[in-house]
Amino acid sequence: MPRVTNLASAVESSAELVTRACRGDVGAFEDLYRQNVGRVYGLCLRLTGQPATAEDLTQDTFVNAWRSLPGYEGRSSFSTWLHRIAVNAVLAKRRSPHGRNEVSMTDESGAQMEFEAEAPMDEATPIDVERAIAALPPGARDIVVLHGIYGYSHEEAAGMLGVAVGTCKAQLHRARHLMRERMASENPT
Amino acid sequence: MNTIPFGPRNPPEDPLLAKSAELPKEVEPSRDLWPGIAARLAADKWGRDPFLRQEKVTSPSFGRWPLALAAGFLVASVSALLTWSLLRAPEPAVQPQVASTQAPVTEVVPVSYGPNSGVTAQELLARDELLVQFREKFATLRPETRDAIVKNLAIMQAAADEIDAALAKDPASGMLKGMLAGTYKQELQLYSTVVTSRDGLTRRT
Repeated sequence: MPRVTNLASAVESSAELVTRACRGDVGAFEDLYRQNVGRVYGLCLRLTGQPATAEDLTQDTFVNAWRSLPGYEGRSSFSTWLHRIAVNAVLAKRRSPHGRNEVSMTDESGAQMEFEAEAPMDEATPIDVERAIAALPPGARDIVVLHGIYGYSHEEAAGMLGVAVGTCKAQLHRARHLMRERMASENPT
Repeated sequence: MNTIPFGPRNPPEDPLLAKSAELPKEVEPSRDLWPGIAARLAADKWGRDPFLRQEKVTSPSFGRWPLALAAGFLVASVSALLTWSLLRAPEPAVQPQVASTQAPVTEVVPVSYGPNSGVTAQELLARDELLVQFREKFATLRPETRDAIVKNLAIMQAAADEIDAALAKDPASGMLKGMLAGTYKQELQLYSTVVTSRDGLTRRT
């Protein structure tokens, strides 16, 4: 069931919750988890393509966030800060020997990858786009997810991924080309 | 004069990126992930307790609580080893399917920590949240797996009782508190292992 949130009040209460969580209030941190878990899990799911791995990484993200809370200075929104931690967790997982096997489900053409979400979010979800993104090789997929879905600028996405801005733009160009090819092959008209 | 755009177009001009931007930002996971997070935060608290770290460098008088010491070591070694080996045990060649479906599910009794343990209500709450998921998974396990888990918990309970009794005589002992923290962490680890396991534990049909 889609969650309805009042954005203004959520943002307002988020700052207070962060303050309380920084003082060690686990209850406040749980409220922050409830507010942000959908965005964090959505990001992890799209970056990995695997629900179980995404769940593990979502948990890692919040545990790491709790440990890093004393260093949170509020320069970016809390959700953006969480996203940075989530991207770090995904990248660390990919670098690990076990994660390399789990996450690299695609070859360069993305031929063997299928999006593994249990169900479409709702009837209006353009699932063909979702599938096309999931089928991208990791580097290209990362930038489409961060820039295309979550709206981060090239500079922000490059900072999160630890690559040059030019690399991001090149990956996006490549991603658009691959997505067009895949969608054309799935929907020949 | 017409100009030819160079480089990536702005998102609204690119239909694929525009469609990507319409995808839902939030996706709900299939299960509540908070109990697992809360358990790890609680375990973190134990591991980072500055009092415990300070006590680790002092010389404990082992002779004052030998039973507690033995119990603590038993939990740290036997319990973890037993669980580890159990979870990786190969499937028996012949499945006792009839027994599996008819055997009553043993009630899981979580470890009870005594008044000297220092385990807080918040930590017990985190454990209870994890227990809800654990109990659901527990009911689906093979009978021999359930029995082994119950034995594990009994070992932990015996250790917690011994350590609590020793703490009553030596309430300032950081080593005893560390051993109790280890028991608590082992208990959470046991639940967490079962909750997060995906294959090999549940009974086959």
